[in-house]
Formats: sequence, structure tokens, C-alpha cells
Amino acid sequence: MTGLLGALADAWAEIRVHKLRVLLSLIGIAVSVAALTAVVAFSEYQRQYQTEQSDRWGGRAATLVIGVANDDGTPVDVDEFDERFTRATERFEFSHTARVAQGLMLPVQLPDGVVEVNARLLDPGYSQIHREKLLDGRWPRDADIEALAPPVVITEALWDRLGRVPLAQHPTVALRGQAGGTYQVIGIVPRQGFGDEELRVDLLYDAYRARVDALPEGAFPQYEVWVGPDEVDAIAPVLAMDLRAGLPAGQSVSVSRSDWAVQPGAADAMATFEMITGAIAAVILGLGALSLVNIQLVAMRQRVREIGVRRAFGATSGRVFVSVLLESLVATTVAGVIGIAIVVAVLRSDWVVPAMFSGMQDVPPFPMRAAFTGLVASIIVGAIAGFVPALVALRVKVIDAIRF
Amino acid sequence: MTLVALQDVTKSVLLADDSRLEILRGISLEVGAGDHVSIVGRSGSGKSTLLNILGMLDAPTSGTVSFEGREVRRMRSGRLDRLRGDNVGFVFQQFNLLPGRTALDNVMMPLGHARGSLFWNRRRIAGDMLERVGLGHRIDQVADRLSGGEQQRVAIARALVRKPVLILADEPTGALDIDTGASVMALLDEVATETEAALVTITHDLHVAARARRHYRLDGGVLAPADLDRAFEASTLAAPVPSPAVEVAT
Repeated sequence: MTGLLGALADAWAEIRVHKLRVLLSLIGIAVSVAALTAVVAFSEYQRQYQTEQSDRWGGRAATLVIGVANDDGTPVDVDEFDERFTRATERFEFSHTARVAQGLMLPVQLPDGVVEVNARLLDPGYSQIHREKLLDGRWPRDADIEALAPPVVITEALWDRLGRVPLAQHPTVALRGQAGGTYQVIGIVPRQGFGDEELRVDLLYDAYRARVDALPEGAFPQYEVWVGPDEVDAIAPVLAMDLRAGLPAGQSVSVSRSDWAVQPGAADAMATFEMITGAIAAVILGLGALSLVNIQLVAMRQRVREIGVRRAFGATSGRVFVSVLLESLVATTVAGVIGIAIVVAVLRSDWVVPAMFSGMQDVPPFPMRAAFTGLVASIIVGAIAGFVPALVALRVKVIDAIRF
Repeated sequence: MTLVALQDVTKSVLLADDSRLEILRGISLEVGAGDHVSIVGRSGSGKSTLLNILGMLDAPTSGTVSFEGREVRRMRSGRLDRLRGDNVGFVFQQFNLLPGRTALDNVMMPLGHARGSLFWNRRRIAGDMLERVGLGHRIDQVADRLSGGEQQRVAIARALVRKPVLILADEPTGALDIDTGASVMALLDEVATETEAALVTITHDLHVAARARRHYRLDGGVLAPADLDRAFEASTLAAPVPSPAVEVAT
């Protein structure tokens, strides 16, 4: 016990006495540990960002998509299947369901004329299933179905074309055609990247159907259910059986998962990203370790007499070995902790993560895995960088060292 | 009681031309507890080699070295290191203080290799020892910045801090002027006497050697009792030698 504490005290004293040399030699280690920690942390943020992006397209894990079609290609009686789906939803007590119909084009009155824009018909639950984020405003609620001026959510590009009137001023948009009327703009979907100029309007499925008897040709609804990832495998086949029971002849129902978690390549892509960036950080760390070994070896040559004196006063060769090893270990651990602290401070600031992962909704806390990886890496580097000089110190002959 | 005993010790080294250089030849010496021994000799006569063997830093080519009756050759390295740390204190000609460390750090160093209360109370014990050698006001001074005499006093404090039974001083005044050397030797004698430690001093200074009770001369690798009176007579630097008893009292 006293041996280890003594060795630790010797190591700390050596670091304290040679502050400048130690500081200079450890800058590289601190930077490379910080790089490694940052890479792992970025990987976690990237994972969350990709998850959210995937959720926007395919729904959160696990989202079931139910499609219905007639075998002969004729349109399905949507209202009849709506009832069937609603009954099933009640039986299964699903908390999050939505209908979505895409592929519609609606004429919208813009200041420069009427323009056909993309449209989606949605239920309120869609925004939660797909983790949709708005630039401003809100998504429609169930109560909005009864509104005289039904609410719509429009894309930022369309908002620009309408004059970018602030939502506080209750802007409206005029639709022409069968669903014609005045709609209140209650939310703005942000651009999904540079150059996103899509003109689109999202309106409530029921609000549209209240004005238009049937969906236009080519547009058909999909039904989405968000269930727990642990339950999906059990629920999906039962739900499919339930929905298929008593279907009219010639009609078929498909139940499949659309979320990212079911895609086989999703996890691999993130692992590859982490592996490549981690390898780069490891190379940097290796170079830092090499320079540390070099500095320690040169320092060891200058400390031969000191080691001899210590041996003369009772230090065993094991004690000298452990002291020299601990010098490196303590120093790199301190450097690693500093590097990790810098990364934590930077990544927890309000500007780095939001700037790098624009649009991320649920910014995760700083991943402990990253801090742990950085700490372990700094300890390993310290052990490796200290081992070689410690071996050199071990081979010092007391008699030669004192004469040195 | 015999602390360290050398029996027919020889030491030789192989030179680059494959010839063998005999440094020590058939040396037998016993040093008892509280003994004060001086060994004089010319440069290159093997004095330091003899001291290193006495201090168990070096092994003889032949012959036996025993410490407190136990033969050293049979001991494992770690045990020998601990035995040396517990029982032997070294004072070197060039002080060999740890560079960049304070006087206190230097004196604490041997205690860092001790166990029990010596380890846990090392700061206080080292501080007390520095007080004892008159450097209580310099404990936080970096050793490199002390004067030669002060550095040697730090080295003495370091050698004595674990209360060794054997103190080995290799030319302890070699790097000091005459007055400083005399005061350093007086201190070394005094503290060694106080702690009842055996003191073996290797020197080529007859005045330093004269402080010991037993005197030896090492010449050509052979150790023989020395007659210091004759040596003083032969020396052009002959001067009255103060008796050790008088010197301790001052």
C-alpha cells in the first residue's frame, strides 16, 4: 500500500517539478484524446440525427404501415376500410395512429397566380409518428377538424411565396378547385436542406374529405400505427389477420414496418462512420503516444543519476519501474481528463451541436460512452508510453548511475 | 556487534582489451555499531569501489560481504534494496541531490521508500532532520540553489533521516572549501555519534580521516591500517589535528 502510494507521490512530484516539459509533451495527448472523445460523441449525435431524419420519412421505431388494394387495380372503398381500421384501432388500443394520403396536387392562389402544389392529407397523429419539426407554429389537432377555416401547414418555400407573413398575424392561404376555400396557416415546415424549394401544403384528412367526396385518382391513403419496438413482432401478424378477416373478395391488406430500425444497413452505416472517424482519432493518439515515448526516453537519460540515488536509498527496481510508469500514466490521465472536459464544455454549449446537426429535436445529453472511451484511451496511451521508459529505468545499474 | 563484514573481497573488471583490472585485492574489514572508520588513499586506488561494496550497491568478484551476519550475495535484489534503505545512509562527494526538488523533498525521498509511521510522517520527520542540520529555514528552497555547504548538509540530513546503522561518506568534503568541509564533518560526526551509527568515511584529506577512531589506507587495492601521524609528518600540509571529542563539543 505504502509502496504504491509512494510511487504515486514520486510520479506526481516528478510531474510537478518538470511542469513545462510534461505540459508540452501532453498537449498532443490532450488534443488527441479530445479528438477521440469528440468523434465518439459526434457519432452518438449523428446516430440521433440520422434516427430523427429516418423517423421523418419512415416513422419512429416501430411504425406499421397498412395498405389496402383491390387485386384488379380499381379504387378501394376508403370509407369502408376506414371503419374497419378504426374498429381495429379501438380493439388494440393503439395510442398513435394516422392516415396519410400523398400524391395530390392542389391549386393554390399565390400573388403571381394559381400554382399547383403538392399536398398531403394527414391525421393529427402523423406529426408525432414522424417526429415532424416546424420552423414556427404548430401541427393541427383533433379539434381543428371542426374549424371553419381549416388549418394547414405549409413549407417554408411556399411561405416565402406567400410573403412570409408572421404566424402571429394569422396568415391564410386560398385553395382553388374542389377543396377550394380559405385555409389558416398554422405551421411552417422548415427547408430540409440547402436548395429545398418544394411547395407543399399539409391539411387534415378529415377537413379535406368534408369538402371533397373522394380522393383524386391516383391518391390513396395509407394507415400508420406507432407501436413499441418490443411489441411490434407480436402485434403485426395479429393486426394483419384482424384486418383481413371478412375483407371483400378481391381485396388485400398489407402490414409492414416502415421505420429505419428494420432497415438492415442503417446500423452498419453508423458503425462504419464511427469506425472510420475513430481510426483517424486513434492514429492521432498513436502519434501523440510516440512523441510522448520519445520525450520520456530522452528525459530518462537525464535522470539516470537520480534513479541511481533513489536505488541507493532503498528504492527497489520494481518501485522505480512503477514510479516511471505512473508518471506517464498520471500525466496522460490528467491530460485526457482535460481533453474530455474541453470536449464536454464545447459540445454542451448552445452553438456547436445545433449548428452541426441542424434540425435535431431531441439533443441527447453528452454521451458517457465518449467520455469513458477517451479516459480509457488516455490510460492505455499512458501505460504504453510509460512502459518503455520504465524498462529503461529498470535496467539502470545503481553503481553506474551514481558515477554518471 | 559487527554490522558489516568483508572477507577476502576482491573486485576486478574486464577491460576493452580483454585484460582484467584488479581494483580490490583480498580485503577483509569489519565495521561494528557506532564505529568510526576512515579510509584514505590516492585517486583511483579503489576507495569508492570499496565503499559501494560496503553499501551493498556493488557486488565483489570474490569473497563474502555480510550484513548483520547475513551473507549479502544470497539475498534477492528487492530484499537487498530494502535492507540497504533501512540500514545504510550515503553521503556523496557531489551531493547527488535530486535536481529541481526542495531541500525537504530531498530529505523526504528515503522515507518515501519506508513503511509504516516513517512513510506517513515523512514530511514532519524530514523537517525535523533539516532543523537538526541547521536548515530549518531553508526547507522549501530548491536544493540546486543552496550553497555547497548547505547542499552537503541536506545530503547529510537525507542520509540520516531513516536513522541508518551505517553511514557511508564518499569524499564528503571533496567539493567544499576547508572551513565548510570542517563544519560539515563536525556535523556528520556529531549526528552519527548521537544516533550510534557506524560511520565509514572515504577521503584523501588527512584532516577528515583523523576524525575517525580507526584509520585505513587503500593502496593498489590492498587495505592496511594507516598511521596518520606519519602521514601528517610526511604531508606538507601538516597541521595540528583537533581531537574529535573537542570538535563534537563545539
